[in-house]
Amino acid sequence: MNKLFGTTLVSMLFTAGTSYAAECVRPEASFDKPGGFPERALTMVVPYGPAGGSGQVAAAMAEAVTELTGVAINRDHKPGGSGTVGMTAYMASPADGYNVLEHIDDASSAHALDSSMPNPASDLIPLVTSQVTFSQIYIRTNETRYTDWPSFVEWVKAQDGKATIANVSKEGSMERVTMRFITEATGMTIQQISFDKGAPRYGALLGGQVDALFEQPGDVRNFLDAGQFKPILTIFDERPDVFAETPTHREMGMDFDPLLRFRGFFVHADAPADRVEWLKWAFQRGYCEDSYQAFNESKFMTVIDSYRDTEGSQELITQTIGQYRDVYKAMGLDVK
Amino acid sequence: MIDNFLAGTYALFGDPVTIGIFLFGVIGGMLFGAIPGVSMLTLAAILLPFTAGLEPAQGVMLFAVLYCTGTYGGAITAILFNIPGSPENAPTSFDGYPMTQQGKAGKAVGAAVLCSAIGGVSSALVMMAATEPLANWAIRNIGPPEIFALVFFGLAVASSVGARTIWKGWMSVLIGLLIATIGQDPVGGINRYNFGYIDLAAGIAFVPAILGFFAVSEIFVQAEKKATGKYNAPKVSMSFPSFLELWRHKLAVLRSILVGFFCGILPGIGATLAAFMGYGEAVRWSKNKDEFGKGKLEGVISSETANNAATGAAMIPLLALGLPGGALTAMMVAVFQMHDLQPGPLVFMLSPDLIWIVFAAMFWANLSILIIGVIETKTILNLLKIPFQFLAPLILMLATVGAYSGRGLVLDVMVMFIAGILGYVLRRSGFSIPGIVLGLILGKIGEQNFAQGMQMVHYDLGTYFSRPICTILIVAGVLTLGTSAYRAFASHKKPV
Repeated sequence: MNKLFGTTLVSMLFTAGTSYAAECVRPEASFDKPGGFPERALTMVVPYGPAGGSGQVAAAMAEAVTELTGVAINRDHKPGGSGTVGMTAYMASPADGYNVLEHIDDASSAHALDSSMPNPASDLIPLVTSQVTFSQIYIRTNETRYTDWPSFVEWVKAQDGKATIANVSKEGSMERVTMRFITEATGMTIQQISFDKGAPRYGALLGGQVDALFEQPGDVRNFLDAGQFKPILTIFDERPDVFAETPTHREMGMDFDPLLRFRGFFVHADAPADRVEWLKWAFQRGYCEDSYQAFNESKFMTVIDSYRDTEGSQELITQTIGQYRDVYKAMGLDVK
Repeated sequence: MIDNFLAGTYALFGDPVTIGIFLFGVIGGMLFGAIPGVSMLTLAAILLPFTAGLEPAQGVMLFAVLYCTGTYGGAITAILFNIPGSPENAPTSFDGYPMTQQGKAGKAVGAAVLCSAIGGVSSALVMMAATEPLANWAIRNIGPPEIFALVFFGLAVASSVGARTIWKGWMSVLIGLLIATIGQDPVGGINRYNFGYIDLAAGIAFVPAILGFFAVSEIFVQAEKKATGKYNAPKVSMSFPSFLELWRHKLAVLRSILVGFFCGILPGIGATLAAFMGYGEAVRWSKNKDEFGKGKLEGVISSETANNAATGAAMIPLLALGLPGGALTAMMVAVFQMHDLQPGPLVFMLSPDLIWIVFAAMFWANLSILIIGVIETKTILNLLKIPFQFLAPLILMLATVGAYSGRGLVLDVMVMFIAGILGYVLRRSGFSIPGIVLGLILGKIGEQNFAQGMQMVHYDLGTYFSRPICTILIVAGVLTLGTSAYRAFASHKKPV
């Protein structure tokens, strides 16, 4: 059964996975370098380690842009502080277009909580958002205590607060906010166990240390392919084709706007305009490179539309900041 | 198993390109492991994009070899200059550097070479024999409460290492634990002790702190001796440990293999905890605890056996379950994915050839530490002949580059120098630098797992003790603490 699930899922993935990968919205195959820019390698500040999701997307995009333009990109990893260390270092770097930043939706939630933190939509210029994904709740495929979302909710309620779910439940994180939406909507109480690294988080579910897992599908793809994990809830407005059998939160009676996980690339807002235009082209076109598309497909990032250009990114970020701010106020957090 | 191993060995050494990649990994891992700041991770990150052009087995094999030899590489600088190449080599310097000062550098390095090879080869053999059942046992039985209990058990002996009195030993560990609390708390993400300084939200990084406490404070100590005319240059000795000397430590080796393997198999833990626990267990079981931290060969043997024993073990959750044990094994996941493969149960079914080439490569890489390590040691020991006035600035420069290069933050250089000054002052007062570093490194791991464990047991300590492994380790740790306190009172050691 496990293998059947895995095989079926893989085949579905390959069928559906190209839905959002085929067309490239940035048509120009080349773009004149403004005043010879860039004459040397770019530096990409990455506020997370090289092995995680951000590190991998930064490497894939750097490789794609270099393939396209011949311009080398040095990645400078500055992990720590939920991305704030890297962001601070980037804001202090020269705004000459030679320094770009990779960041995720954490930058938006950090600004929503504390407006003195940079607003990625206005204090920076988004070059491209190259990964947008949704979250799901997973259980072990061989789990017998519950097999789907309704039976899971029923079981959790019967445990009187003793049930557990693994996630990254740091204060104000997307995971914690979404779990608040879910628990309020269902009336269940569940203990969130915060694991900041993926491996112990997934191991906790595999080994039965926790009862469920909150995660994005790309990060657990190998467990889905191997038939070890099974999604029981998709936190997105519609069922993606790949997960056609998994109900969405709205179908299960939860009426909230899903918070998305997204990763993108930025440059200083006061960088020279002609250089910014070239960078926009390089990164938006880099998204279309075969190597980058192959990477995104391997990460389940072609299941829904992962691409946003500058305006699309600004819209996504601004909407996300508003959502977080409303939630934080409702949670009683000190929104500055 | 033997047939598969021989087939993997044949595939490894039957192709000149694969041999070249293997040798590159062996030498590159040793070199990058030895230079502080630019660890095997640096080399792995540089090589990652290039593995796309290799055969899948070659790419994964290269990273596995880097992991084995890179873990050993940092021992050399830890022993000769008190500069651990990476955190997992820090306990090696506790006794390795004092041995260098006593003119026994050859013995220390020789023991490190041999024990790294023994630890690594043993681990590789167990990995080949029982990857899947071991991985499944570990994830079902070891969770955050057990890992916290393991750390507590390890910390309970840390006070015995290198301090003038047991009380100063405990104070040293507590200072380390206090430093470990700087930065965001590991569960809620709340900033602590960062005084509004954002870079401190990431906490105190291990490498700059270790470089400061060990290398910089040592330079201050030696400079003081030089200035007061008490400086004695370390004697350069090429004499390796005899077979009899090593045979006397067979139990320490065996214990460290078990400890290292156990720590390595836990997802997300890896070689650093293994080295510290291996060292801690050597202290716990020794009749001469006071000799640790002062140049005891067993200290070097225990930490180097344990950290390399963790390398093969860390491959077990990666290959069997797709769970990487640390940053380098996480990069290996990326190598798999570049070739449309996923580590986990399916890879055993779909790519058994790849698995056995990797297993064989790790076995031979660990053995090659022995051969290349001996040749390398004969050369590198001559560095000790450089006069102090030239060597000290060189070490300081290397340490500064090492501290900065990890994250590119000036803060880390500042941390290194502050740790150096603090280390110098505390050493003069009889506090234990190994104790502080043990507290710092184990404190971060322990706090995170304690908090996660408390969430899992719904903040009910009674439930914590309903987990047998957890209970045994905590009780053993409390007994160790009680025994050491009793001994301190019984021997009329007065608190200072």
